[in-house]
Amino acid sequence: MTMIADLATVILVSAGVVFFIAGTLGLLRFPDSMTRLHALTKADNLGLGLIVLGLLPQVTSLAAALKLATVWLLTQFAGATVTQLVARAIWRAERRP
Amino acid sequence: MALPPAILRASAFLALWVVLAGVHAADLPAAVAAVVAATWVSFRLSPSTGGLLSLPGLIALMVRYPWQSLLAGIDVARLVFAPGLPLRVDTVVYTPRLPPGAARDAFLVYASTLPGTVPVVAADGSRIVIHCLDAAQPVAEQMAAEEARFIRALGGAYG
Repeated sequence: MTMIADLATVILVSAGVVFFIAGTLGLLRFPDSMTRLHALTKADNLGLGLIVLGLLPQVTSLAAALKLATVWLLTQFAGATVTQLVARAIWRAERRP
Repeated sequence: MALPPAILRASAFLALWVVLAGVHAADLPAAVAAVVAATWVSFRLSPSTGGLLSLPGLIALMVRYPWQSLLAGIDVARLVFAPGLPLRVDTVVYTPRLPPGAARDAFLVYASTLPGTVPVVAADGSRIVIHCLDAAQPVAEQMAAEEARFIRALGGAYG
């Protein structure tokens, strides 16, 4: 049982890291601020989701699992809200004469 | 007897505090301050409640969200790792059904996590401009379908 849980953790956390790398690479490769915003929000959201999912088999209590899920949820809210604020700022700045 | 909305919201924030920080006597002053501040801000941002949310609609959205998050992440990763960077960036103008306000802002926040799109409010305030990575997709139709799901989760008002 422990081995299956450990294997799930290794696979999911590794996949999460790949998506964090994708987000960072997007930040470097994408041509402008709006497209970089896509890369950062979407790839990092998934990266964090996979890492949280991968850590769940390692938790020893329901409280710890709830805490991980809550941290994921709050990060989703915060990330998406900041995306909106940054997108609006970029949009206004680009349309300023 | 129904509990006052302030008590309900404060209880939810307290539960959130307990999940994140655990139960420690020394934390009590910070917990009380945080719960009072969060409840006050929540009423400033969203004064009315009255059970407007639809539970089945909300569950449908919550089940859909991880799947959409997966598609969005894979979509970006596919583009980023492709040697030629095959972006077809464009903007699509979309007129939302939701009127300007907290509900529409919440929808825009939700929609910015969906695959391939980041919506922005246009200067005139009535329309939104969707920035998309692949303009070949039926972006406006997809956004309308997502907005319909979001409105169902809100209890079907604004229909």
